[in-house]
Parts: sequence; structure tokens; C-alpha cells
Amino acid sequence: MPEPVIDDALVAPGHDGQAVLVVRVRHDNGGTDTVMLDADQARKLLEDCAAESAEELRGQPWRRLLGILDSPR
Amino acid sequence: MLDIVIRNARIVDGSGLPAYHGDLAIEGGRLRQVGGQIAASAEARRVIDAAGRVAAPGFIDPHTHFDAQLLWDGQARPALEHGVTTVVHGNCSLSLAPLRAEHRRKLVKMFQQIEEMPDAAFEDAFEWSWEGFDGYLEALRGRVSLNVAPLVGHTPLRMWVMGEDAQKRAAKPDEIRAMQDLLRACLEAGAVGLSTSYVDMDENLAPVPSRYAHFEELDALAAVLGEFGRMLQVVPEFYNTDVTVARVDQLAELSLRHGIPTTFSPLFDTTVVPDNVPRVMDRVAEQFARGARVWPQVQTRPIDISFSLDMASLYFVQLPMWYMILRMPRDQKIALLRNEGTRKGLIDAAEPGGDTSRFANLRVRDSADASLIGRTLGEIAAERGTTPAGAMIDLSLAEDLGVHFLAANMGHEDPTRIGPLLAHDLVHIGASDGGAHIQSFATYGDTGYLFSRFVREGRYLGLEHAVRKITSDPARIWGLRDRGLLQPGLAADVVVFDPDAIARGEERPVRDMPGGGMRYVRAASGVHQVIVNGELAWSDAGGYTDARSGVIASA
Repeated sequence: MPEPVIDDALVAPGHDGQAVLVVRVRHDNGGTDTVMLDADQARKLLEDCAAESAEELRGQPWRRLLGILDSPR
Repeated sequence: MLDIVIRNARIVDGSGLPAYHGDLAIEGGRLRQVGGQIAASAEARRVIDAAGRVAAPGFIDPHTHFDAQLLWDGQARPALEHGVTTVVHGNCSLSLAPLRAEHRRKLVKMFQQIEEMPDAAFEDAFEWSWEGFDGYLEALRGRVSLNVAPLVGHTPLRMWVMGEDAQKRAAKPDEIRAMQDLLRACLEAGAVGLSTSYVDMDENLAPVPSRYAHFEELDALAAVLGEFGRMLQVVPEFYNTDVTVARVDQLAELSLRHGIPTTFSPLFDTTVVPDNVPRVMDRVAEQFARGARVWPQVQTRPIDISFSLDMASLYFVQLPMWYMILRMPRDQKIALLRNEGTRKGLIDAAEPGGDTSRFANLRVRDSADASLIGRTLGEIAAERGTTPAGAMIDLSLAEDLGVHFLAANMGHEDPTRIGPLLAHDLVHIGASDGGAHIQSFATYGDTGYLFSRFVREGRYLGLEHAVRKITSDPARIWGLRDRGLLQPGLAADVVVFDPDAIARGEERPVRDMPGGGMRYVRAASGVHQVIVNGELAWSDAGGYTDARSGVIASA
């Protein structure tokens, strides 16, 4: 069964003036959802995906993102 | 004898009705007359000629963190000089009371995580003379030059009842009852509501105690708020639209069940998630239509990103070589930045084909060299015969990576989206965060920016509408019955300003925090007099006065 994947990841400003990473997930039915990650969460996601940049997150399974979100923010 | 007469004013009374010309008389801290002409023979201790200027109710800022600052700076500088005469503090689950002495250090660390204040601000600048909420208010009385409307923080409430377990688990039924009793005592003492947070973290990046509460606990506390008709303020998981919408529903249920107003903050726009605000506002409108009160707080100012090369800011996450090097241990990072080959590689990555646009408009936000502050990397690079990326590296190395840079207007910056949002009937203009994030950006002058950007330039709101949004609207939303309007008998909080000039000044760093700590501030322009409860608290001609006429604005 196909699973949702990370569709895009873009830098945006957070409420506190720090940069955040907005990750967009695309589901197999075409629906999308977004979540903002702070610097620590984004770094962990990059490490878990062995990605060097935000662009390399594209196509990664959303399971990797869920692991980050399950951790205390 | 009258205390103050303001003559020839363009009166914008806060109701949203059209402005009109006339005089105002103030006596005994109250507005005695609004409109008409006061006889030239009437004696007054002070006469203000407001010809060509607006007289409006003092502005109300519903989202600040001045809890500690007010104890050594009762004027909440520079908020007062922007025309702010009432502040709500104790937001985001954090207040300085009720607080047992043994919990002070722990709570201070949480405050510092948000406010970025130095230790001296909490250790030397004031005396901890209270534990209970009434004691904290007593410490403020006679000290403040503006009105304060304090919230009770859910986090210290939990700490008082649960001790260390407040940051470990849900509360038991007897603990919830104890929190209810404590909240009730705080509200009786003068608190205007309860604040809680689903987002904030302590100094160890662990969730603050309020985040361990189950819904049953918040429901029980909301029931106490219902006894007083008081506000519940919440920081929802604003980084996720679906969860924020779910929180709107939850707040609506609490509002309907207990008959209370609720508000959440922040709600801000970013083009990266363009449907966030529309989706949240749609749900807010649905809940208002049911009779719930769920006020989203929206700030006026755009959001900047600040960073230094000392940390691996996500600002660089789309530049793999930069991001990789900035994540390295400090010594290794500095060595690589000094390496000519690496430096060239970084510059080539940031400025492919000689396109220097990526960094050219970044500004130096903080530097030991004051002459650099506020200048763009493009300007500095041109002077030094390098590129903006090269200048960023050189400046950083010269100060051991201590230079901070600013990428301005990165979010909440599109006036065609923000203007209509601010004008929306269901939007509560707020979320300034006054007194917080003090080393990251200036949280002052949002009111001036409302007039300069969205009234004069964009014309998204008329003058009277804009004044209403930051005076009588917040007064009604928060139940501050004595304020927000220019009306005979009400408290004489008045700001006199030039509608063609009111604005916020440039952001600048100052070192005026206790212990020499720095913060960013903005001066006001176009504001001429600020009157609090009938006393002149600030004027452009004389600056701050000795008046300490602020009160606990609970009613």
C-alpha cells in the first residue's frame, strides 16, 4: 500500500524570529498537510533521512516525520 | 479646578463612529467632558492644544510578558510612549504568581527561555516579596505608570499544587480541586483570567507544566473562570493547521460550557502555508456563529528571521554546504570558515554565477562595531571589495561568530493578506509579545505600525476602525469595563497623536536591562501625549514623567 511522502520542505519564519522548516506531506489520494519543525526537529529529520539539504527530503516516507513529531517539542 | 483640558482635538472615541472636533476635560482621573467647547475661562492644571491631532482612548495591548519588567520599570518602556496605556501580562501559561519561594528559580528559567532576560533581571532588579497573587499585585501597586491586567499562569498554578510532579504527569482529582481553589483566589485578587500553553518549553527544552494537563483539568479551571466570566488565553500548536483548528473547537466547547471568552495566539500568515489563516478563520467564524467566543490574536508587524553563524539556523537549510559546516563543532567550523578554499566554495554556493541577491539585503542586526548595525551586507561588501556572502563570513570571523544578521519581512509580510485580516470583525489585534524575545526583535510599536502601514499606506482600515480595534474592542473582549472609550465617567486613558505621522521607529539595540543586558527597542513617532488615569505619563516634549497612576485594570 502506498504511503504518504514528504512533498516539499521550505524555510519560513517562526513566531519567535527563528527560522522554521515547513514540511508538506502528500498522501496517496492527493491530499496534503503541512507541519512546521523547529531547528532541532529539522536537524533530526535530516539526519534520519540522511539528507544534506531540505531538497533531499522530497520523496522520503512520512514515517520519518512521525518519529520526529512523536518526540516532545 | 480641572486636571487636564485637551483643546481642539479630533476626537476618535474608540467606538468606531466618525471622528469629530472638540475638547476634553479630565478631573480626578476620569473623563468629565468629551466633546463640545470647554470655556476659555475654565481653570486647569494642564492645557494641551491638540489642533491637528487625534485624541483617542489609550491603546490596550492584550499579549505581553511584562511580568518582571514592571517591577523595576513601571513604565514598561518603551510601550507607554507608543500610546499603550493598558497591558495584559501573564500570557502563555507563565506568570510570577502564585509562586512558592522554592519554585522561583525554576520558573525564572522558563521565563528566560521566552523573554531572554539576563539573570540580573530576576535576581537584583526587584525583591521577591510575595508568594500569592495578591502579594504580586501589591508589589505592582503604586509602581506602575500604565494599567496592568494580569493573567494567572497555568504553569505556576500547577507547580504550587503539584510541586515537581507538575512537569511529569496529569493532575489527580484532589489536585485539580486545589488548583480550582487557588485560581479562584487569584481571580478574587484581581486576575483577568488564566493562560495556558501547548507549545512552550523550559530551559531544558522540556514541555512546561501546563502541557501535562489533561482536558479534564482545563475544563475544571474554565469552570472557575466561568464564575467570574473571565478569559482563557491559550497558545495552540500554531505550527500545524489541523491541530490549531482542533484547539479552536476545544476552546469553543469551553466557551459555551462555561460562558467564558477565550483567545488564542499567535495566528500569523506565511506564504509557505497559504491556507493556514483561511482555514483557522473559517472555523473561528463557525464557532462564533454557534455563540462561542474564540478570539484569534493577530499581530500587525511582519516577522523577521535573525541568526548568526554560531548556530545552524534553518535559514541555511537550502544551502547544503553552509548548513553542513554550521552544524560542526565550533572550532572546526571557524577553521573551515577561515580556509580559503572552503570560503570560496561557500560563496559560490550562495552566489551562483555571481548572483549576489540571496544575501545582499540582509542587515547586520547586532555587532560590537556599532557602525555596522543596520547596514546591508550588500553595502558593506561593496565597501570592502567582496561579495555579501564573503562579507557575512568576514564579519562573523572578526567577532568570533558573534555578529547577528537579519532577514527582514520573511513572513506575515503581505499587506494584501494581513490588512483584511486585521480589519476582520473576529480578529483581536494583539500578539505583540511586549517584553518577550527581547534579544531577538523589538516587540514595541505594533500600534504605530497599524496606523502607518494599514491605515495610511494600505487603507485597509479607516482611522476610527483602527482605533476601535486596539481600544474598545480589546476592552470589551477582556471585560475591562472602565476603559477603551472616550466617554464621560470612564477612566481618563488618552493618547494624543498625529494621524499623519504616527509610526514605529527603527529597531535598535540598547543595553538598558538590569546587569547591562541588551534588548531591541523601537521609539515612537507621531505620538505627543499619553495620559493614564488622568495623569500625563509621557510626552514627546518632556519624555517620561514621575506619574505612577497605573492601576490593576480588572474591571
